[in-house]
Amino acid sequence: MAKIAIDPVTRIEGHLRIEAQVDGGKVTDAWSSGTMWRGIETIVKGRDPRECWALTSRI
Amino acid sequence: MSKIKDDGSIWSGLAKKGVSRRDFIKYCTTVAATLALPSSFVPKIVEALEKKQKPYAVWLEFSDCAGDSESMLRATKPTIGQIVLDVISLEYHETIMAGSGKFAEKALQDVVKNQKGKYIAIVEGAIPMKDGGIYCTIGGKTAADIAKEVCGNAAMTLAVGSCASWGGIASASPNPTGSVGVGKAVPGITYVNLPGCPMNVENVTATIVHYLTFGALPALDGEHRPLFAHGALIHNNCERRAHFDAGQFVKKWGDEGHRLGWCLYEMGCKGPEAYFNCPTIRWNEGTSWPVKAGHPCFACASTNNWDAFGPIYKRLENVPGAGYQTSADKIGLGVAAVAAAGVAAHAVIRATKGKPHEDEKK
Repeated sequence: MAKIAIDPVTRIEGHLRIEAQVDGGKVTDAWSSGTMWRGIETIVKGRDPRECWALTSRI
Repeated sequence: MSKIKDDGSIWSGLAKKGVSRRDFIKYCTTVAATLALPSSFVPKIVEALEKKQKPYAVWLEFSDCAGDSESMLRATKPTIGQIVLDVISLEYHETIMAGSGKFAEKALQDVVKNQKGKYIAIVEGAIPMKDGGIYCTIGGKTAADIAKEVCGNAAMTLAVGSCASWGGIASASPNPTGSVGVGKAVPGITYVNLPGCPMNVENVTATIVHYLTFGALPALDGEHRPLFAHGALIHNNCERRAHFDAGQFVKKWGDEGHRLGWCLYEMGCKGPEAYFNCPTIRWNEGTSWPVKAGHPCFACASTNNWDAFGPIYKRLENVPGAGYQTSADKIGLGVAAVAAAGVAAHAVIRATKGKPHEDEKK
């Protein structure tokens, strides 16, 4: 039984980590992790709603 | 025609891709213009690209949206940006590279070790510093630690985009992750900020060519930004400036003024306070830029623009020189010409919005 990690997952937008438990050549368990967070939902609070699009489009 | 010697130089790489000598010289001339250098410098740029070997580069992405990578990929036909990128040996870029996981990590480590002190580090995205930098990790390492190692061993670092330059959107109030630009996260490195949301690929490649030609970074302003790109106010190069001076403003989206391409000052344009070369270089191979497309500038390259300039659609206060005409129609009839006889060309004519000016009542 072995546990492997693929980090970074490439050729995607954003940062992703995949871990998998491998037993006899088969994946028996797996985890995914988004490894970057900026808090844009927090940042938009209290701002002029007309400019929300400009911030959320940068997610 | 004599065969171009394949000596690993940038020029021979271009020639192999079918770029003619004539086009190559044209590209060198265009870059000189972008760098705001006189044409006497063109031979020096030509010589540099003829002699210099392909530089190695690695592209790091931290707290980003990959917008700067997208900006880089936008060329659909060879432009100076595309050409220079074709001949840079880009060894690492998570969004486009073939390998992943440990193979990706090895590709990065190979450059850091084997090209130590010689490669160019390109950084996209902000670096979170709060809580030990845990808000951005790659391969188990924090962005801050990766930046320290990779930028610390590079010949120079290009911070592309506003996030890598000064923290960008991640650092907008209340900056939940303590995000900063790479220059602040890794003190002591040689770096250039190339802000913009996203940055303009033409400025990035011009900076690289400058470095290859002169072995030094271009002249920088107080925020580490190249003066050739950030030395002039957008307001002073805007093609709608005459409308600003004449007081012809868009008042509502889609109104007649908007359709006629009038000034976007009242719609919130931050051009009078933004330093960038958008009106001259423009975007997508010189196609357009926000104001030309009918949307006000929101100073995307300026430090702290999300907080310091007010909301995007709120007018800047106290911009001098905004002319308020009573009525553009009246000039042709001679009535406004009489009324305006005593008024200097750039005087501000106070007019209450929606109410007729005193002269109009005559």
